[in-house]
Amino acid sequence: MKSVLVTGATTPIGERLVRSLIADTRIDHVLATGREREEDALPFSRTSRLTYLQVDLRRSRRVRELLFGPARDLEVECVVHLAEHRSSYDSGPRIYQQNVEALRSILDLSDRHPTIHRLVLKSDAVVYRVSLDLPVLVTEDHPLAMDPQQPQYVRDRVEADLTACTRMGLVDCEIVVLRCAEALAPGTGSQLFEFLNAPVALRPFGFDPMVNVATIADLVDALELATHGHGEGVFNIPGYDTLPLSSAMHEWGTLGLPMFGSVIRPLYTIRHLATGSDFSYGINHHRMHYGLVLDGTRAREVLGYTPDHPVDWPVGGPIRPEE
Amino acid sequence: MPFPPAVAHALARVLGKSDVQDRVDRLEFHDTGHGFDLFGMNPEFIGLADAMSAPMYERYFRVASHGPEHIPAHGAGILAANHSGTLPFDGAMLWMDVLRHTNPPRVPRPVADYFVVSLPIVSTLFARCGVVGGTRGNARSLLEQGELLMIFPEGTPGIGKPFRDRYKLQDWRKGHCELAIRHRAPVIPVGIVGAEEQMPQIARIPVPGSPIPYMPIPATLVPLPVKYHIHYGEPLRFDEEFEPEDADDPEVVRSAALRVKEAVQALLDRGLREREGIFR
Repeated sequence: MKSVLVTGATTPIGERLVRSLIADTRIDHVLATGREREEDALPFSRTSRLTYLQVDLRRSRRVRELLFGPARDLEVECVVHLAEHRSSYDSGPRIYQQNVEALRSILDLSDRHPTIHRLVLKSDAVVYRVSLDLPVLVTEDHPLAMDPQQPQYVRDRVEADLTACTRMGLVDCEIVVLRCAEALAPGTGSQLFEFLNAPVALRPFGFDPMVNVATIADLVDALELATHGHGEGVFNIPGYDTLPLSSAMHEWGTLGLPMFGSVIRPLYTIRHLATGSDFSYGINHHRMHYGLVLDGTRAREVLGYTPDHPVDWPVGGPIRPEE
Repeated sequence: MPFPPAVAHALARVLGKSDVQDRVDRLEFHDTGHGFDLFGMNPEFIGLADAMSAPMYERYFRVASHGPEHIPAHGAGILAANHSGTLPFDGAMLWMDVLRHTNPPRVPRPVADYFVVSLPIVSTLFARCGVVGGTRGNARSLLEQGELLMIFPEGTPGIGKPFRDRYKLQDWRKGHCELAIRHRAPVIPVGIVGAEEQMPQIARIPVPGSPIPYMPIPATLVPLPVKYHIHYGEPLRFDEEFEPEDADDPEVVRSAALRVKEAVQALLDRGLREREGIFR
């Protein structure tokens, strides 16, 4: 029996993970944190095995108070870190504090924490570099998107991922980094979801890359396996569905409009300004040209993870916000 | 993609004979669940390419296949062939020849230069027909899946060789032998006779800022109706001589690549001796 701390518990993935951990008889207690107030968070029935706290992880003092307060009292053994800023257009030091500094604080404190022995970081496939001279099937040793010209959304994720990787073997805490395929669901920060979830999607003329997409259910399975596993390392977490971008658009009910790249970028910027849509062509420029499919061999062999949940493609068009 | 698989299927039925659909139905294919393999290959597009290339294969280039029994029926393998002809009709004819002379039909996976992957429309259509970008990772994945790679070790310099250098193999790259040794895959040498005379190149114009390495200026607007002779040699089983870790030894790889090159050159020399003329 062990206790688990879940940061970012109010995100769709976090919420589903908390629900799953509570149902797991191997888990003694779940300590969930988020930025929302308690009355607005986790809209499902509470049990005595769940504690929710509103914590701003951008402030290192709050992280310290969390880890050496409630987390120590509940004898938390494993931290599942899901908290990251999801909007691709936001930037600045406060975003960086949330995406990178919060993780750094957790890593620093976990090293000298009396009960925490394991940290699971949910990273993203966006950390991988996509280029015509790189393979489509991506293993964990694939080059990362280290280009300083990348938007902060990507730079922060790469830095957080590397921050965790560089601590492996150097601290007492076991560190597991899961580089997850995008979950096609609202609120997950998925750029592909933002791309598809529009009546018309603009894509580069003449290109149709292969994409791999996951479901929240599969990502939660992977996070649970990593929570209960032993040892450390980096693992790709692919989704069940691998298909061309055009097929994804067809399945989603989105009309694809092929255009030249130089036109697409400003049009998406205008769309963002007009509608608040979060899809950024700058982040996805290469992904719209060349395929990227995560190779989940290591996750299968070490964690026992295989994607089992295909995307439930919406019939009849995009998901509207109120749904 | 330019059009969906259903359209490719309909076009293949209109353009092709009944044997095209039969081959499509019997294809060995690693479907990822949506009708495509990991690299975007789709059987309906294979059928369309088969149907569209058939007139060229059967009537224009009148391809004659010699020794196709050397093509492995199953499992990983690497076809290593000479490359020539200004435009890659040799690749298309070899692709067709393997598809038609294997049972069940195998789609050889051509490994293309990087610039091909960057070409709009072409990259997508080629991917649907099994072409992959020439990265080590892509080749490794395909061999691990037991696929048959089609590699032209001369690369772009081969296809652009001057007419005076026809049937003289250019600088022979070695990556295919490293892959063969590491993944215990046989290398099947292939000599393509005919293609080297199909479209004599008289000049090439550099295209700065373009993914294409140069714009070839051929002496003819369309390829000449040369007769193709495709000669397959005995598979070279490097796995019987070397261990996978020997792929790290540059000398082993170099000597293996030299043997493949000599085998291809021998097939070319034999093919040139045996043919009765450029058009026969």
